[in-house]
Amino acid sequence: MKRLTRAALLGVAAIVAMPAAAQDLTTVNAIMPKQRSANYFPLIVGEALGYFEEEGVKVNLLPSDTPIPFVNFLRNGQADIAMMDSAEVLQAVAAGVPVNVVYEVMQTAPDGIAISAESDFKDVSELKGETVGLVSDRDRVTMQIALDARDLTEDDVTMVVVGEAGPTLAAAFRDQTVAAIAGSGPDWLAIQANGIAIDLITPSEVSAKPGNVFVALDDAVEGKSERLEGYLRAWAKGMYVATIAPDVVAEIARTTVPEEWEDPTFGQQYLENAIRLNVSVTENAGDLQTETWSSIQPAMMKFGLIEETADPSGFLEPKFIGPANDWSKDEVAAEVEAWRAANM
Amino acid sequence: MSATDETSALASSGQWSWRIVANHVAILAGLLGAWEIGARTGFLDPLFFPRPTDILAGFWRLYVTQGNIWDHLGLTVAEVLTGFVAGSVLGIGLALLVGMSDRLRRYLKPYVIISEATPRIAIGPVIIAAFGFGWTSKVAIVMLVCFFAPFVNTLNGMVNVDENEMDMMRSMRASKWQIFRKLMLPDALPEILGGLRLAMASALGGALVAEFIASNAGLGVLINQYTGVLNMASAFVCVLTLTVLGFFIFRGMEALDHWIVFWSDRRRTEQVSRRRARAWSERMEKRT
Repeated sequence: MKRLTRAALLGVAAIVAMPAAAQDLTTVNAIMPKQRSANYFPLIVGEALGYFEEEGVKVNLLPSDTPIPFVNFLRNGQADIAMMDSAEVLQAVAAGVPVNVVYEVMQTAPDGIAISAESDFKDVSELKGETVGLVSDRDRVTMQIALDARDLTEDDVTMVVVGEAGPTLAAAFRDQTVAAIAGSGPDWLAIQANGIAIDLITPSEVSAKPGNVFVALDDAVEGKSERLEGYLRAWAKGMYVATIAPDVVAEIARTTVPEEWEDPTFGQQYLENAIRLNVSVTENAGDLQTETWSSIQPAMMKFGLIEETADPSGFLEPKFIGPANDWSKDEVAAEVEAWRAANM
Repeated sequence: MSATDETSALASSGQWSWRIVANHVAILAGLLGAWEIGARTGFLDPLFFPRPTDILAGFWRLYVTQGNIWDHLGLTVAEVLTGFVAGSVLGIGLALLVGMSDRLRRYLKPYVIISEATPRIAIGPVIIAAFGFGWTSKVAIVMLVCFFAPFVNTLNGMVNVDENEMDMMRSMRASKWQIFRKLMLPDALPEILGGLRLAMASALGGALVAEFIASNAGLGVLINQYTGVLNMASAFVCVLTLTVLGFFIFRGMEALDHWIVFWSDRRRTEQVSRRRARAWSERMEKRT
């Protein structure tokens, strides 16, 4: 009878404690360019394995294709952290917004110049006098840097925006309506996975810059540092899982985003590309590459993206990198195996 | 037997409706067959026109095996209905007020015109920035889209009341409320319902714009995801779902129109008159 009473009491305590624990989670409002996707697998892996919850964090993802700069959503308090590209960061710095790069999500830019595999062009230097495409106007600077690396300018080519919609972009490649297209990795992948062969002719100067980084304002860096630490630690652990168990990541992505896996071959290729982009190249996950931030600025200044260079120490905030990497790889490996045993 | 007689005979026997259905099915089957052949032979670009059989398989996948469309569909429908109700109530309510007062009409009109002239797609991001990323901003966009047609139609209906009828009501010393209830509102009803039909037709578009700009779920998100990975068959499933949804919503609004504004249809008017007459005589019989 005593056992029964104790069990009942424990059960009641557990029921009472569960909602309380759920209520204890602090929401981190994160604005990113896409919905939950394999493209940003550290988020969905971190959620599936409970890493965000362990940190007392609940991620409220704010996926947005709005033309309003993400930094405005940091300023009006709707977002605590934003995923931005290097150009957006430098423009915000130039505008005097107190932004801090706290973590580099993609340490090499996914941007590139692609051509149809059947094209006669083999290098950007051969594009003089040709019409070249941009996936969106944001890719203009990618094309400008690529042309500049081959001693060409914007005036040497005709630039047209071919659009972000998959079918339009694919048709542009297949029919070779433009000589080359500036865009990013995921754009090409969807096309390749659908049987349209493409080649990349990206000069190294284009990819030598951080692709996407997490940014927070001064207020959040000071006032919300605990929740940001937890968020970044969970993100880093989610990223690490891909290096030890990509099959587990694939299973999680398949369950979370079935829309990307209706064609399993496509889903797998999409994920592999995402892993290549998301896994940090620095020793510490998400570490801030001060030299790279200095070296990318002259080109951006040359193409009118910024008016003057900024000292990276003014906007790179390294205080989160240590805490984001403060976890045990063995523990994560054990948790992954436990998840695999339970779910696969 | 003349053609008209034959039609009447067919209609009364029920054969007519079956023949119409059969014709529609034959036309649809012909179109789909031509599309399938065109896609298989390469005449139609598969990047833009997936095979109907693939779309059919997509319906089965999205609705049954994966079942991932339901949540998105539910959210979009909820946004559409909430935004439609809110926008229409606001539009009709404001128009009723404005219709009763010349001064209010004079001052409000320019703002209403400005609000209509502003492109929704341009103002969408601003609404999201103002109202946040949640449900409210999506509903606000749909509401904005649904506001104008009911407002203009209601106002037109209120303002264009027959002057002779108005004079007659006044000569009978009808109060303002009586004039509104017995004359202006019934006169305006066909136009109000016309406005509601237009609003409902635009509501789906408004919800999609909102979901394209910023959303975690909804059919707009699903269409974006599928076109992004060139899964055009599944994208078509979402688009066709919206088409069917729009069709049923429109027919629903037509039925509502037919039911409320019965006097615009002779047969319905006769039906209602007969019913009222019957009710009246029953009441009289009870009295006697």
